[in-house]
Amino acid sequence: MAEQILQDLQLFYPELALTATFLVAILADLIFRRTSVVVSGIVMIGFVVTAVLVLGQSDLHASIFSNMIAVDPFAHFFKLVIIISAILIVVFSLGSAELNSPNRKLGEYYALLAALTLGMMLMAGASNLLMMYLAIELSSISSYILSGYTKEAPDSSEASLKYVIYGALSSGLMLYGISIIYGLTGSLDIYTINQVLAEGDISGVALLIAGVLTLAGFGYKISAVPFHFWTPDVYEGAPITITAFLSVASKAGGFALMIRFFKVTFIDSSVVTLPEGAWATFEGFEWYHIIAAMSVLTMTLGNLVAIWQNNLKRLLAYSSIAHAGYMLMGVVVLNNQGLAAILIYFVVYLFMNLGAFYVVMLVANKTGSEDIEDYKGLGARAPFITVALAVFFISLTGLPPTAGFIGKLYLFAALLNSGWVWLAVVGALNSVISLYYYVRVFRNMYLRPADQPGPPLVFGKLQTAIVLVLLIPTILLGLYFTPLVQLAQASVKIFGTP
Amino acid sequence: MGVTILGIGVLTWITFLPVLGMVLVLLLPKERRDAIRWMALFFTGLQVVLAIIIFTKFDHGMAGINTEAGMQFVEKVPWIDVKSVAWFGRIHIEYLLGIDGLSVVMVLLTALISFVAVISSWTIDKAVKGYFALFLLLDTGMMGVFVALDFFLFYMFWEVVLLPMYFLIGVWGGPRREYAAIKFFLYTLFGSVLMLLAMIALYFSVTVYIDPAGVIHSVADATKMGMQGLEKIYTFNMMAMMDPGNYVPDSLLAGTNTSWRYIAYIALFVGFAIKVPLVPFHTWLPDAHVEAPTAISVILAGVLLKMGAYGMLRISFPMFPDAMIHYSWHLALLGVISMVYGALVAMAQTDFKKLIAYSSVSHMGVVVLGMASMNTPGMTGAVFQMFNHGIITAMLFLIVGVIYDRTHTRGLNEFGGLMNQMPKYAAVMTVAFFAALGLPGLSGFISEAFSLLGAFQTFRTLTIISVITIVLTAGYMLWVLQRVFLGSLPEKWKGLTDINGREMAMLAPLAAIVIFLGIYPSPVLDLMNSSMNFLAELLQHAGSATLMGLQ
Amino acid sequence: MSIPLHYYLGLSAVLFAIGVAGVLTRRNAIVVFMCIELMLNSVNLTLIAFASFMGDISGHVLVFFVMAVAAAEATVGLAIVIALFRNRQTVNIDEINILKW
Repeated sequence: MAEQILQDLQLFYPELALTATFLVAILADLIFRRTSVVVSGIVMIGFVVTAVLVLGQSDLHASIFSNMIAVDPFAHFFKLVIIISAILIVVFSLGSAELNSPNRKLGEYYALLAALTLGMMLMAGASNLLMMYLAIELSSISSYILSGYTKEAPDSSEASLKYVIYGALSSGLMLYGISIIYGLTGSLDIYTINQVLAEGDISGVALLIAGVLTLAGFGYKISAVPFHFWTPDVYEGAPITITAFLSVASKAGGFALMIRFFKVTFIDSSVVTLPEGAWATFEGFEWYHIIAAMSVLTMTLGNLVAIWQNNLKRLLAYSSIAHAGYMLMGVVVLNNQGLAAILIYFVVYLFMNLGAFYVVMLVANKTGSEDIEDYKGLGARAPFITVALAVFFISLTGLPPTAGFIGKLYLFAALLNSGWVWLAVVGALNSVISLYYYVRVFRNMYLRPADQPGPPLVFGKLQTAIVLVLLIPTILLGLYFTPLVQLAQASVKIFGTP
Repeated sequence: MGVTILGIGVLTWITFLPVLGMVLVLLLPKERRDAIRWMALFFTGLQVVLAIIIFTKFDHGMAGINTEAGMQFVEKVPWIDVKSVAWFGRIHIEYLLGIDGLSVVMVLLTALISFVAVISSWTIDKAVKGYFALFLLLDTGMMGVFVALDFFLFYMFWEVVLLPMYFLIGVWGGPRREYAAIKFFLYTLFGSVLMLLAMIALYFSVTVYIDPAGVIHSVADATKMGMQGLEKIYTFNMMAMMDPGNYVPDSLLAGTNTSWRYIAYIALFVGFAIKVPLVPFHTWLPDAHVEAPTAISVILAGVLLKMGAYGMLRISFPMFPDAMIHYSWHLALLGVISMVYGALVAMAQTDFKKLIAYSSVSHMGVVVLGMASMNTPGMTGAVFQMFNHGIITAMLFLIVGVIYDRTHTRGLNEFGGLMNQMPKYAAVMTVAFFAALGLPGLSGFISEAFSLLGAFQTFRTLTIISVITIVLTAGYMLWVLQRVFLGSLPEKWKGLTDINGREMAMLAPLAAIVIFLGIYPSPVLDLMNSSMNFLAELLQHAGSATLMGLQ
Repeated sequence: MSIPLHYYLGLSAVLFAIGVAGVLTRRNAIVVFMCIELMLNSVNLTLIAFASFMGDISGHVLVFFVMAVAAAEATVGLAIVIALFRNRQTVNIDEINILKW
């Protein structure tokens, strides 16, 4: 037993590195009270080390700590997305004017960032209901604090409070769902639950209710309608670095958790007549209908409400809700192609969404505003970063030749190839709607002159370099997406599924 | 065969030269406006030179359409190649360019109109650098649409056009430019997402075989070769999509006359019809034309509208001949409605530019009617009409631009008696207007006559109805001439100067082409003859096959 | 004589419903947090009932974790309420409304 645990620990190095980073960061914060440079350095190093350790796990296919956590290509992929965005967020935070105000101590901020990342990485691999709950709570509690970190700003603490209440409510719902599943199947281990379900004497209705309650927890993490209410408020009120992090990494963790839970639990391995890479659910558990409905609602509501937003952060919040809706389409089709499409979308989304948030942050650093009205005439004042923002938005809309198009292409391809034509049509029409609100930003940047002409905005070399780091993949992956597809195809393997 | 320069094919050059120009324009400091203008002119000029090379080297005997061997100047490089995994086949997308009799005409037109549009853009003073950079990007997108033979590549170019166009209308346009630009963008994006879905459906319905060397073989060829060492792949290759033998049985778009094929055809049709634009998808056009700066109106009317009609001929016709035959009457009807409606609305306009915009709707209706006839004269006439309309409407918009630059008004009723004030202007304008109304001896006549002749063989009643438009067109065109040139000259226009050298430089070549092709149309007709014959046969063959299938 | 399982389940379902209703209808942030605790405790009751009924230990383990996490969540929640109170002098959720649509 002890030997087994020691052996398993070797597969747990990335998470251990993050835990160590967190602890050392807290200690360092106690020692160096004056400055946060040391802590941010420690966290940065810790993240880079973690990233290297994650990269070393590429070909594993195992389950550790008595099936608590799976270490498989699927988890590996999401861990990569999470750690890369975590590193970028640390870089963003170093340059954020909002965070680096004179009287604020940022040591805890960076330490909590490590805790948040740890929670998300655990979400990527959790394969036991207990572990899933703990991972969700670890990331949630850290993000409650982080989203209220600029506590003198009234909207920040308000966002934080709303986040806590919605978060606690949905985790309560999810726990209740978990407790019913536990009562029905007698286990918290999703592989055992799958076996019990395969025997087939479980009441479908009770399990469906439990499944929907559990979905509340996942839906809240990925901000899918109708569990999205916290998203716009938190995204608007939280510091923009945290907003950017939540919009990418938190969604990644939530999707990993949800896909693993539904795929492992409800897959009927006895059906063998399916085409390669597809799977069947147990009869009576056709939850993909629920997800299809959720997907349509999520993207349509996200896009329609985004049209009315005047704050760019809030607009991006609704746009990220809509993107969760697009990605949910890939879950509906029940095959590896759909999963690969989601993974491709996540890589693309990582670059374009972080890029958009970063540019918004840079502009807010200089002008102090995230209001779309204040973007008037910005095209002339800051040509480079507004062009970058335009490219990120074009990519978010899904127009070629940007990476966003490739993401949408693979989603639609997965849908059409398995006969979900109506869902593909809804998705396609939604991207037309989304164009309208992204273009509103273009319009203000380029088509309308500023109310009061301001001086040109000058950005440093480092900031330009970071924008380029996000911009180049956004364009390049749109023109040459072979590596992207290869990575996604290699990463669809989930432990415990055929 | 093919022409290469520095080891790169001429079609790649003609497509991506403007992008090269764009990069150089972006590197120039923005104060050097004239250098930027000359740079743009130089690169579009090079495009014209390449177009002339293509024109002279083009083999009139090769038909193209549905065989790669029949295409000319073919360039083919593997672009995306992802090895197959257990649950998903190999992904192989090619960078495939080539032209046949259908596209060569459009390539010539695009090069010519872009060049003229740059000359006409000389008066742009606001953000010159941004303007020409976007203009050159637009140029690449348009040219790419006409030379791409891979559907995926085609779609990329198709979409690349949208964004520069949005900014060109939105930043440099007239008072209601914001509205016009977003309307254009939303309409065309709506059309293209439907096209995207149809494209993906086609992708999953068509398979071909690829050998280890990367050469694609159709299912029929592969069967002959005994499948030795061949791998089955899905493909975006347009020619493969035109071969019914390549369709996977039981796939979404397999068979003929199935409802999925009709749905896919309609999805493609809406995408193309919005670009053409056919009534009732046309409402973006008057706004966009009126608000766009002169040069961009020229591009819109001269090239962009042709993309829609070209897409139908290149994609809808050969890939969905069954659906095409099924809907040909409806298509012809929409064409006739566009003709009559466009002409009637044009008649009611007092805004010079809006009048020409609606006349475009009317003239593009002729193209669609000619195409819908599916016989050689009809389709030849349609393609020739696309070319002629490109040239003539470009002239008309330039003519409006000339008078607008001087007077800052486009109200037709404010003019009068300009004949004596601006004699050279009057001469050019008369040529353009007579060509537009289809006067024999000018190019517009021949193409309209061909289109209607072809259409008459297939749709008698509709064609007879459509002939009303000829009278209506003559009516509104002559009325414009009368309002602008005859009568007494208003006091305020006494100081107007006649057209200058730069304006003459852009109008004279176009006028020369209009007159030349009116007398001697063979140079252009010869280019497309064999392709159009072949396409007509293809459709006829598909039609009889469908009939036999029904019996 | 032992109390049948469904008594426990019924009680916890009622408690859970009261908790959810409270979260949705109450306007005082502190009371909302108390209602959330009520929800979590009803979950604990369900888990304990199932675990002892099935003689399985993992339910008990989960209960311990839930209790610990609930404590952490309440701590953070109350800290945020205090931060907000310093800004706004209120704990009424209806008055916390800068962010809307």
